[in-house]
This record gives sequence, structure tokens and C-alpha cells, in this order.
Amino acid sequence: MLKNKNVLLLMLVVVFLAFGVFGCGQPATPPADPGDDADVPADEFEGEMLLGIMVPTTGSEAADGVDMENAALLAVEEINAAGGVLGYKIVTSTGDDGCDPSMATAAASKLISEEVFGVVGGYCSGATLPTLKLYGDAGIPFVVAASNATTLIDENPGWAFMINSTGDAQAAKALEWFEGLGVETISLVDDGSAFSVDLKDQTKSAWEAAGYAVLTEDRVETGTQDFSAVVTKIMSANPDGVYWTAYQGLGALLIMQLRQNGYEGVIMVGDGSSAQELIDLAGPDAEGVYCTAPPVVDFLPAAQGFISGYKAMFPREPGAYAGLMYDATFLLMDAIERAGSFDGEAVKAALAATDSFEKLTGPIFFTPQNTLGRSNFVILVAQDGRWALAE
Amino acid sequence: MEQIKQKEKNLNPVETIVEKLYELFDNNLVRYSVLALMFAFMVYLPLSSSRFTQEIMTNMLFYVVVCLGLNIIVGFAGLLHLGYAAFFAVGAYVTGIMSATYGINFWVTLPFSIVAAIIAGLAIGAPTLRLRGDYLAIVTLGFGEIIRFTVRNIGITGGAVGLIGIERPVFFGIILNQISHFYYMFFILAIIAIFISYRLHDSRLGRAWQYIREDEDAAAAMGINVVSTRLSAFIIGSCFGAVAGSFFAAKMTAISPDSFMFIHSVMILLAVVLGGMGKIPGVVLGAIIVTLFPEISRDIGQYRLIIFAIILLVLMIYRPQGIWPERQFISTKR
Amino acid sequence: MTFWEIFLQQLFNGLLIGSFYGLVAIGYSMVYGIIKLLNFAHADIYMSGAFVGLVALSFFANTAIGNAWLGIILSLLISMFLVGMLGVLIQRVAYRPMLKAPRLSILITALAVSMLLYNTVMLLTHGQFKPFRTGLTHDSFYVGALRLTETRVVLLVTAIVLMFIMHQFITKTMYGKAMRAISLDRDTCQLMGINVYQIVAITFFVGSALAAAAGIMAGVYYGTVHFYMGFLIGLKAFTAAVIGGIGIIPGAMLGGLLLGLLESFSTQIPFIGTVWKDVFSFVFLILFLIFKPTGILGRAESERM
Repeated sequence: MLKNKNVLLLMLVVVFLAFGVFGCGQPATPPADPGDDADVPADEFEGEMLLGIMVPTTGSEAADGVDMENAALLAVEEINAAGGVLGYKIVTSTGDDGCDPSMATAAASKLISEEVFGVVGGYCSGATLPTLKLYGDAGIPFVVAASNATTLIDENPGWAFMINSTGDAQAAKALEWFEGLGVETISLVDDGSAFSVDLKDQTKSAWEAAGYAVLTEDRVETGTQDFSAVVTKIMSANPDGVYWTAYQGLGALLIMQLRQNGYEGVIMVGDGSSAQELIDLAGPDAEGVYCTAPPVVDFLPAAQGFISGYKAMFPREPGAYAGLMYDATFLLMDAIERAGSFDGEAVKAALAATDSFEKLTGPIFFTPQNTLGRSNFVILVAQDGRWALAE
Repeated sequence: MEQIKQKEKNLNPVETIVEKLYELFDNNLVRYSVLALMFAFMVYLPLSSSRFTQEIMTNMLFYVVVCLGLNIIVGFAGLLHLGYAAFFAVGAYVTGIMSATYGINFWVTLPFSIVAAIIAGLAIGAPTLRLRGDYLAIVTLGFGEIIRFTVRNIGITGGAVGLIGIERPVFFGIILNQISHFYYMFFILAIIAIFISYRLHDSRLGRAWQYIREDEDAAAAMGINVVSTRLSAFIIGSCFGAVAGSFFAAKMTAISPDSFMFIHSVMILLAVVLGGMGKIPGVVLGAIIVTLFPEISRDIGQYRLIIFAIILLVLMIYRPQGIWPERQFISTKR
Repeated sequence: MTFWEIFLQQLFNGLLIGSFYGLVAIGYSMVYGIIKLLNFAHADIYMSGAFVGLVALSFFANTAIGNAWLGIILSLLISMFLVGMLGVLIQRVAYRPMLKAPRLSILITALAVSMLLYNTVMLLTHGQFKPFRTGLTHDSFYVGALRLTETRVVLLVTAIVLMFIMHQFITKTMYGKAMRAISLDRDTCQLMGINVYQIVAITFFVGSALAAAAGIMAGVYYGTVHFYMGFLIGLKAFTAAVIGGIGIIPGAMLGGLLLGLLESFSTQIPFIGTVWKDVFSFVFLILFLIFKPTGILGRAESERM
């Protein structure tokens, strides 16, 4: 026993000392410096205010998360170049939620500790969910750029504002489009994730409420490549349309296997699959596939300047949620300007009172539940290897 | 003693330094005062540090509890369990369902959580503990996945969305909703876990576990019922996990199947192995390292799994007993 | 579709996916037989094979070889070789030093190797799916009520050919005999002058090469590859190996086909459907392990004290 305890103590002491230094003197993460701000001399600002960005920057969703972070950084850069907000320069701190609820909680804690005046972000609904209460308790307004599962609505203590239309709006759009195409029976496929199941449930109730039939409901797990069982089931039920409610990786597989097995009905995918990647992966089989999509910047007239600005700052194309994140940032700043202060309560009230805020993604205003007051979904169709507006 | 000193001459420089440090701490007074200092430090911490720091430390203490639980199964009894996240999911969901759906007081859910853990441990252990180590590993992995799938796909557990609205516990009139409250709660749990682990280690049951781990057949020949002894390891280990899970649910107020994936089971196992399977201080150290390491910097955070994998690999090949030095002899001094 | 059409289609589906399981299961079986290790990393070898094949194929696509069958076969051979060597490397670095160590340690090592492989690929691909572009067409034709494509038929045939070659290798060559001998009693084999380390290396090479082949075939068949594609296949293939009898090659093949068929048909059962398909496989595995751990073709082993 003796020697083990000795070394225990030694090592624990070392670790604790290291941690003590870390813990007691934790500075805020140095703010990201989005490029050259020599345009506006530093002494013209009255000071700095810290904005929190919460997105998955590691893990399997990192690609979209980093894209969103980039969009926010671009927005901040532009805001600072125009003189900041209420005379203050905006600096940022990013909390990585890793698309995992526990990591998200830690990220939220970090941002709250750093005393951010507001947060923009939120991609994976499952990860965003537990943070709503945290930000609410801390009195920090949270503009949710991408997460849109309907479960967020009930859990929202009033401090979060969702600018991406929620699942029920998307389901309504899907219903409308399917009806327009003369589809009367559908099959639903999801991947078991929170967001996907939510959309599937919303679509099912909307569909059945309209008097149509859902013929089959199936689920595929992440990591599955072989959809033959699902495909055979769908083929034997032979619905007029198939709606895939999850992400593009599996979505592409589903599309390819459906088409290659001779399915000729309408295929539509939800906004989780709205990335160009879906078409790249599915190849020629993707032609004619529809998508209920969030406002993707490629089709937004106001967005050309945004796209070139984004590409100038970051070595890539903006992704599907970049536009929303950009707008989220500008919206928050706009609310602060209207409120005349950075105070949480005032900003929250200003956000709630937003009257048709226009930037890239169209007029933003909120329902009493803090969800987007209109459906911002559009229908895209895959044509010649790219998405195009279908309506 | 002469023979021991002879052995020491062949140690490399690192081990010589370590030996010298042993001598420093050989003094009981030094040892206990350092322990007391660390205890005081831990108690003082929430009063002076940021919310974020407390969050990380609470997570670390939570890991200490679950790692000690897994340690009973893997370290003491030598059973490779790759689905431990399932046990703490059981605890979390029992508390979650009872609290969120039925509004039952948190403290009342704890005994149910333990009962559920016992049932889960029995259900998984009874049919499979006769199997060889390698098979057991895959079966526990399979069970972990089955539980996660099930929880993800049935209504009562909230499906993929999970459960939200779990009530905060109330302790003598104080609603526990600050991070510092949870910090202290997990600190107390960690101390209890360490205490129970030490008691188990020195008990008849603990010795039986170690005996079985070292030589199953000899143990059976001595009259130890291998299967039921292993089963008790499973069950006790699962109770640790379930209790930790219940507190986790109360802290998060929303739980979903995403928190109980295979990768989480692997991380807990990693912490146990890193520190030295079976050695309680080692396991505590492993838990500390695994939770604090990713916080060093965001850039490293991306590579953390690869780094952990490499560390684990190197460790297994060159030092399978973990960071901890192996005991050279059993001391006759007490 | 009529019952008969559904039946035939699911039968074919089951056989095809079953042959993938079988190819991967052979690797598990061989390695378990020879060094009694459940190689967790094997599933990630499968995944690596698919990615190496992807790189090779995209290279060929721009050359005269093209990315139709010729390119695919070449990529297959290249990948099988490279990934086979990777398997040898892994066993040399990670497993060979552990042969005398406790079982627990070597299992953990395998886990570590697995994590290393798939995390590396995840970082390299940024977690995204990658398209597996081939120059093949997907025109289908019907054999009776069964809808087939040229691709599927070729893949199934390739899988069967590979398995046949394996079988010959195990039963007819000296190496195969040595492998079976070592799985019975390693120490005596060493005494008899068999170079155990060499045979172990060859075992890993062959097992990994087969898994790589399965990986590329999956890439061709499904059209995309992803860093996590190995996980589920790995568990299924392991289940197949156990069902057929772990350590026994024909058992692995049989187990693979059986599991494939079982899964296909189970999705037609309304209670299980596609949602519980994977749970069903796990439950099946557990039942087998409890009641018949030596598998269908296995003999009960007695342990010598």
C-alpha cells in the first residue's frame, strides 16, 4: 500500500497544482481576430464587447460548424469595419459543442463564464437543447441560427430566438410541394436522430391531417451502407413519393439505391441534406430530387456580396447555414442598436419586437414562441449536378 | 531489504527519481497533510473560480465516479466491459422518466435507479459471464448498443429527442441548480466511491475478484463460485454507474441517447486503463487526465482521440500496468 | 411486388450483403484462430481498404485505364496488397509484442489501433462522406422476377471466387495447414520447426487483404465511403464468424451468408422492421454465444490445464 499511495499523492499534487494555476486564473479565450481592422483606428471604439459563438468545431459535424463560425466572423469583421455596435468593437469567443449535449453544456458554461453579451449558433438540435436553459438562467440572449427541432420550442425559457423555420414549417412546405406534384401516398425514412425524427413526425401528422396516407416508415442507423431492406420495403409498398428527413451522407445512399432498384416516384429530402454534397455523392441518380431547404445563399439575390466576402476571408465556399449564421449575427447587433444597450433584458425585448429584419435570408420576425414568424423554406431541385430553385 | 536494494540498482534514471520521491512521502505525516491540503483545495475551489472551471471539475469528478465503477468490473474482476455507458444510461433514464414524466422527487428516484442497475447487471451478466474474456467484450459492446438503440426508439424514454424537464433536486430546502452545488455533490459522490472501492478491495469479495482475475481455475478449485462472484462485480459496478447517471440527469435536466454512445464507454475504459486497472489512485488519476486533457487547447482537442489512442497503444505495449508503477512487494508495515 | 418477387429480391440482397460479411468474417476467424485475439481493428481495415481503393481508382480515372472494371480490378489488387501490408505492420507493431501478455491487454491494444485508424481517416476526410465514382452503368436486367445489375452480379461472383480461393489456400497449401496447426497448439508447432511469426504475419496479410477487397466492393456497390463504415459491418461480421464457428474459415463464410439472409428476411417481419434490424442481429449473436458458443460448424473445445 505504501508506495502506491506515495506516488498517488505526488502525481495528484502535481496535477492539482497545474489545475490550480489553470482554474484560479482562467482568462477568457483570446478573442479571434478576424483579419485587418486597420480601417477603423482602435481608439475610435469605446471598448470591446464579447460575442459568443456556439457551434460544433470538432467531431463529425465540424464541417458545418466551422462554416457557421466563419460566417459569424465575417459578419463581425464587417460590423467592426462599419464602426462597431454602439461604438464598441465586437470580439468573439467560440465554444465547441461537438454536436454532443455534454460538450454543449460545457461550451455554454465557458461562454457564460466569459460574460458574453449574447450568443449566436446552434446547429445540432440535440446539443442545443440543454443550453437553452443555461443561457436563459444567465440572462444571455441566444440567436439560434440553424437548430430547428420543435422540441426546442417548449424548452425555450424565452431567451432563445430561432431564425430557422422549425420542423412543422418544413413539414408544411413538404406537404404543399408534394400535393402540387400530385403525390398522394408517401414513405418516410429517417436516421433516428432527434432532428430527423422530429421532422418525420411533423410530416406524418401534417400528411395524415390532409387526408393522405403514409405507407411505410423506416429508420436507418448511422454507419449503415446497405439500404436494401428499406428499399425493398418501399418498392413493395410503391408510394408516389419518398421523403428523407436526415443528412446527406445516408441520403445519397438512399437515393442511389432507390433509383438503381427502379424506383421512379418523387424523392424529396429535408434540409439536413441540402448541401451540395448530396448531389456530389449521389451522382446522376440525384437528378430531379427535391429538397425542402433553408435559405441557401446561392439563391439569395442579396447574397452575392456575402459569398465573395466569405471566399475572400476563408479558403472555401460558404455552406448551407452560413447565410443564416451571418444574419443571426447582424440581427443580434441590430437588436442591440434598437435597445440602445447591451443589457440582456433590453436586447431580449428588442429581439422579440423585431419587425421584418432583412439581410440575406429574408424578413425575420418572431412568433410569441420566439420562432420565425414565417416559413423560410424553399424548394430546390437537383439539376445538372447542382441545386436550383424549383419555384 | 538487501535484495530489494540490489534490484533498485538496475533501474533507469526515471525510476530512480521516483524511488527517491517514494522516500519523501514515506512519512505518514507528510502524506496525510498533503491529502488534507488537496481536500481543502477542492472544497475551496468553487468559491474562487469561474463557472466554466467548476463545470470542468464537476465533469472530472463525475468521471472519477464512473471510472471507479468500471474499475470494479475491469480492474478488480478482470472483465473487459465495453458497454459501460449503458449502465449509467439506465440510471439517468430511470431518474429522467420518473422525474420528468411523473414528477417524482429526485431523491426517491435514486433507490429505483439502483434497483434498475441491479436488474441490468443481472440481465447482462447472468447469461454471459461464463464466456471467455474476448467474447464478453463483444457481448458487452452489443448490450451497450442494444440499450442505446432501445432507448432511442421507444416512446417512454423520449426516443431520439430524449427527456427534457428533469427536476432539480431539493436538499433541505435549497434547490440545487448552481454549478457549485453539483460540484459539491459529485465531490461527495467521488469520495464515497473512493471509500467504497478501498473497502471492497480489501474485503473477501475483493480478494475473490482478484483471485479470479489472476487464475480462474485455481480460484474455482479453492471453492470460489466464479460466476456469482463475477456477477456481483458486474452488479456493484453497475450501481456506481447508475447513481452517477442519476445525478448526471439531474444536472443536465435533459438527457438524450447521444450521451451514452460507444465512444463514451471507450473513454471511461481508457481512463481506467491509463491510470492502471485495479489501482484506485491510478484510476482517479486516469479520470483526471482524460477529462482535463482536452481543455489544454482547442487545437489539441481535435486530435485528442488520436492522441489517446496512441498513448493507449504505447502504454499497452510498454507498460500495461498503467502509469502507475507496479507494487514491488506487499508491505508488512501498516 | 408479389410475395415471390419480394422473397427472391430479399434472398439476393441477403446473399450479397452476406458475402461482404463473410469476407470480413474470414479475417476475424483467421486471426482469432491463430492468436486468439478478437481484432477490433479489423473493421477499420475494411474501411481503410475502401479508402485506399478510392484513391487508386480516382488516380486511374484520369489515365487510360479509366474507372470501369479494369480500373476497379487494378484498384482492388493494389488496395488488397497495401492494406494487407498494413495488417502485417499492425500485427508487428501492436500485437506481436503482446502475445505473452494477458488477454485484456491485447484486446485493449486492438481497440486502440481501431481508434487510431478511424480517427485518422475522420480527420483526413473532415468526417464527410466521399463519393466512390466508378465508370460503371447501373442498367438493370431481369432474371425471372429478380432485378439485377451487371455490377451486382460481378460483385457476388468476385466474392464467391475470393472465398473459394481462400478455401483452397487453407486446405491445400502448406501455409494453410500451418495456420490450422498453430491454432491448435502453438508451442508444439514451434518445436516442429514452423516459423510461427511468419505464419501469423501471413494470416494477417490474407485476412486484411480480404477485408480490403470487401471494402472496395462495398464502395463500388454503394457508391460512397465514410470513416465510420467499418463499425457496423465489423460487429455484423464478428457475429457471422461466431455463428459459423470462430476459428473455422468455412464457418465464417457460412455465418456471413446466413446472417445476411437472416437480416434481409427479418426486415419483412412487421414487428422488427428496419428499425430493429440491427438489434435483432446483436440479440442473435448473444443467443449464439450463450447457447452455442462454438458456432454451427464448431467443435466443443476442451481446455487443457
